Amino acid sequence: MIVTVQKSLDEIFDSLSPYTSVLIAGCDGCTQPPRGLREAEALSRLLELGARSRGKKLDFKVTTLPKQCDSYLVADMLEPQTDAVEAILSLACGVGVQTLTQVLPDLVTLPAQNTLFMGMEAREGGTFEENCAACGDCILALTGGICPIARCAKGLLNGACGGSSDDKCEQDPQKDCAWCLIYKRLQKLDRLDILREFRPPRNFRAVARPGRLKQ
Amino acid sequence: MNTSVTQQTVAVTLNEEYCSRCSICSSLCPFEAIKKEPETGKIVLEIEKCQVCGLCYSTCPATAISSVYYDTDSLTGYLKRAKQEYESDILVIMCKGSSPDFEGVEKLFGVSKFIPLFVPCIGRMPEEVLLRALTMGIRGIHVLACDEDYCRFDKGSAVAGRKILALNLLLEQLGYGTEVITLKRNSLKVKVDKDKCITCGNCVFYCPYHAAKLENGAASFDLDLCRGCGLCVALCPAFALELENWEKERISTLISKLSLEMEKPKVLIFRCQWAVLPPVDEDFGSHVRAIDLPCAARVDMLHILEAFQNGIDGVLIAACHEEECKQEKKGSKEAQHQVMVLKERLSQIGLGDRLHFCFVAPRYPGVFTAELEQFTEGIGADFLKGGR
Repeated sequence: MIVTVQKSLDEIFDSLSPYTSVLIAGCDGCTQPPRGLREAEALSRLLELGARSRGKKLDFKVTTLPKQCDSYLVADMLEPQTDAVEAILSLACGVGVQTLTQVLPDLVTLPAQNTLFMGMEAREGGTFEENCAACGDCILALTGGICPIARCAKGLLNGACGGSSDDKCEQDPQKDCAWCLIYKRLQKLDRLDILREFRPPRNFRAVARPGRLKQ
Repeated sequence: MNTSVTQQTVAVTLNEEYCSRCSICSSLCPFEAIKKEPETGKIVLEIEKCQVCGLCYSTCPATAISSVYYDTDSLTGYLKRAKQEYESDILVIMCKGSSPDFEGVEKLFGVSKFIPLFVPCIGRMPEEVLLRALTMGIRGIHVLACDEDYCRFDKGSAVAGRKILALNLLLEQLGYGTEVITLKRNSLKVKVDKDKCITCGNCVFYCPYHAAKLENGAASFDLDLCRGCGLCVALCPAFALELENWEKERISTLISKLSLEMEKPKVLIFRCQWAVLPPVDEDFGSHVRAIDLPCAARVDMLHILEAFQNGIDGVLIAACHEEECKQEKKGSKEAQHQVMVLKERLSQIGLGDRLHFCFVAPRYPGVFTAELEQFTEGIGADFLKGGR
């Protein structure tokens, strides 16, 4: 899923400063932690309280969408709710904010989140771990299901580098060395032979940025 | 906080002079807080283990155990006053953990006018109080206890059932008729609106009892496993869940009602009903009100924000210590986390000091009182300065 963090309320207040009537739109899609109706309502209350102390009056409506990254759903479900709205504050990832901007060009859509990465929610530890870089040339079959593009700080294809120590990364000892994980995983699978093969630089043209795909 | 001061009053005490060493208390204590010393035969109470269920107090045949909460005198006093206030001769005693709203109680027992008495666990009701109620002119007594396996004090509900059975036999022999005291059991559970569910899986992960599953595109609950803590309800991002009797809307209505009857500066307490045992005649004066919840886990961050929007100046959350949380030790810890996250966000708009979370236990009633006093003073001082 797409991992996001809330922007500071100060930054949100700044971006909202020209507007008084705002629709806060949650996203029930893959944004994590969940940024649905509860989060939209909590944010509206916090902003309303904050506005009071700034001597400002802000009117909020709240809503949510199954996913903000779907242009049809946005037009179908969100557009009818935008009467008398000057700006939309989106709780979705950057993709959602841009979908809204494109589908509702007469309105301003502002982000309430910073979008961080695609990752896994490790529930027990309450952490989110990045594990896919959307490189367009998946090599997980060759690396025991562990992605060195996303999880190795250097994105190496022929690791580990010399900086790995106690299975941790030299760049940040809190993080696992992806190549140590790959080695152990392949050892368990009895497939260390894969590592004997040298991997040439990956195909950077697999996805020509910006990515586009015709269905 | 100065613990030596606040820990002076202890909720349960054992008077050795009266103790006949019969061991009934130690055999009943769900928390192994009362034991017989093998060498001396003496009964000893280890207050640090006691969770103040009151079972020992209500069953001790020698009145060697005293309790600062719901003792015979304060309960009898309440009944005398309440009999006039409610103009009824029907008494309904309810465990807070399982009692539905008044309408629900009416349906369960078929009574429309009654004297309500809420207690944390029916197991703590001394038989003497029930007998005194009858001598006071109360005609019928209905008791609503939790389902036995739902009892937060393990044995409280079961013991209450046996006591009532025995009392009814006694009363029949005394000529009061049969079944003077009726006992019913009830448990409050989660309700799901499948149309609102976004299958995020929060309830599945957070449920302390593994009652939640994602099935056929929506959350579903095994209600036999659900213990009604409300953790899933407070964390559901889509408002797809409700907890019976502690519905979102009902708590909202209560917040605005309480705010209206308070005077500035206003302090609202959300407290776990097992962390603080309120006296039957609790009186906070005009600046403070409390909302009791089935677990701190049911404290909804939206309700805290709503309180501030309603003009409440300070919100205090009182929860059980993590290791004493009746919801598999999960509820109170999660509540603390949620409150701390909200506090950080509130501090961004200058309201961080208006929210306070504390761990308390009913064994030391002074700790909660001191927390409340300290918090109220802070809010009051801020208010005098011109506040917000």
